[in-house]
Amino acid sequence: MRLENKVAIISGGSRGMGAVEAELFVQQGAKVLVGDVRDDEGRALVEKIGADAVYAHLDVTSEDDWAAAVKKATDRYGKLDILVNNAGVSARGTIEETSVEDWDRVMGINAKGVFLGTRAAIPEMRKAGGGSIVNISSQLGLVGMAESSPQYQSSKGAVRIFTKSAAIQYAPEGIRVNSVHPGPIVTPMTEARRSDLAMQQVMVSRIPLGRYGESEDVAYGVLYLASDESSFVTGGELVIDGGWTAQ
Amino acid sequence: MVERPPRLEGKVAIVTGAGSSGEGVGNGKAASILFSREGAKVLLVDFQEDRARETLQIIQEEGGVASTLQGDMTKLDDCERMAQTAIERYGRVDILDNNVGISQRGTVVEISEDDWDRVMTVNMKTIMLASKATIPHMIASGGGGAIVNISSIAGLRAHSSTPYSASKAGVIGLTFSMAADHATDNIRVNAIAPGLVYTPMVAPRMNDDLRQFRSEAAPLKSEGTGWDVGYAALFLVSDEARWITGICLPVDAGLTAVHPGTYTPMNQQTRF
Repeated sequence: MRLENKVAIISGGSRGMGAVEAELFVQQGAKVLVGDVRDDEGRALVEKIGADAVYAHLDVTSEDDWAAAVKKATDRYGKLDILVNNAGVSARGTIEETSVEDWDRVMGINAKGVFLGTRAAIPEMRKAGGGSIVNISSQLGLVGMAESSPQYQSSKGAVRIFTKSAAIQYAPEGIRVNSVHPGPIVTPMTEARRSDLAMQQVMVSRIPLGRYGESEDVAYGVLYLASDESSFVTGGELVIDGGWTAQ
Repeated sequence: MVERPPRLEGKVAIVTGAGSSGEGVGNGKAASILFSREGAKVLLVDFQEDRARETLQIIQEEGGVASTLQGDMTKLDDCERMAQTAIERYGRVDILDNNVGISQRGTVVEISEDDWDRVMTVNMKTIMLASKATIPHMIASGGGGAIVNISSIAGLRAHSSTPYSASKAGVIGLTFSMAADHATDNIRVNAIAPGLVYTPMVAPRMNDDLRQFRSEAAPLKSEGTGWDVGYAALFLVSDEARWITGICLPVDAGLTAVHPGTYTPMNQQTRF
């Protein structure tokens, strides 16, 4: 198994890509702490997965929640090897339509959340002798799209370069940090956009492989980066977008 | 625990440059062995077939299914014979790992026209020819396919190897375009850009000091191997990457993610 004896934290793990990653990680031998603000869904998920998963309430903008989640994972499973900063929110609108509150909320969850998670996890990874951090950015952290929003795109761009900053700082301690850049994926987060059929058609027309991605498509990329198979990969950006940005 | 099937179960793979040019394990040899371990049948193609036989021996000792073929990938006839052979021996073809490549140093002032043409032919045209011959069979096999092209960080950065860099940058452009051209056939095309990995290809011009220097040039300060590149290829050609096409994945210990300060001194000394 590819994650045997590894301990992982996955933020935003109650549903969507995070939930699929949690199940896949456990199948591959890891112990997983699922963190989320959706407590009912998160508890139901870990109950379904079994003894190798535990839930913690985790608002990624809260330093206290991060400290508690890291403590819970290490108390229960003895160490921490992997962090997937998966929690995120979407937003749509022009720059003129965007309020300061909108900006701060999205930047807080999508960008500051990654910083806080990384900062909380590093000391435990150091104790474990190394680790792997996978930050979920977006293809919209690489290229512009009219139907997105300034705060979403900025937050995902921030995740991209934060990843490289963290990678160079912690490489000497054997902690690898990479970003993943999904295109449009079938998840609860993209439900509103997908329910607009005209919009859905526009999105699919931009994807060379001709379909939305599934959470599983992203989860396997995260698995590769989390596992020792990628032990020579850090500071990288893995694009999983059906070919969108290659055009 | 759910027992998962091997990651390339039922697949047939062609690896070009499947042998290594010296002792040890290069990118093509590592990919061939890993593809086999994950259940693929592998056609091991090399200009020097005896090199491919060494890879075959390892695969057979592990109980895998593979065979060798002599082929010059700079010749379309050989590429077509290669694709035909895969069909004849294994019934289909799903995966093509374009791994053939040579080093070529020098500035544009120093390089001879013949050497320039040779490196562009071996490193880039071989990918076009092998893909040209194989893609129709992938389509005919049903289900599409996956192609992985071995580029280099030299295609992304100055590398004291100008002709080599140009050819490897060409591989990245070729990858993006092939990905777009063949997406509707469900053929995925991706590139890997290995960093300063220690392989039989670079070994002849290495000494202990230079090896040490290269190992420490990237943030992770570890020496990469053909296996690191092989695992990336395994991921990209498997169905786990079924929604990934048109990317270039550096496997470089962080070298291209950071300020080039650790890297340029070597350029100035042309130490590669």
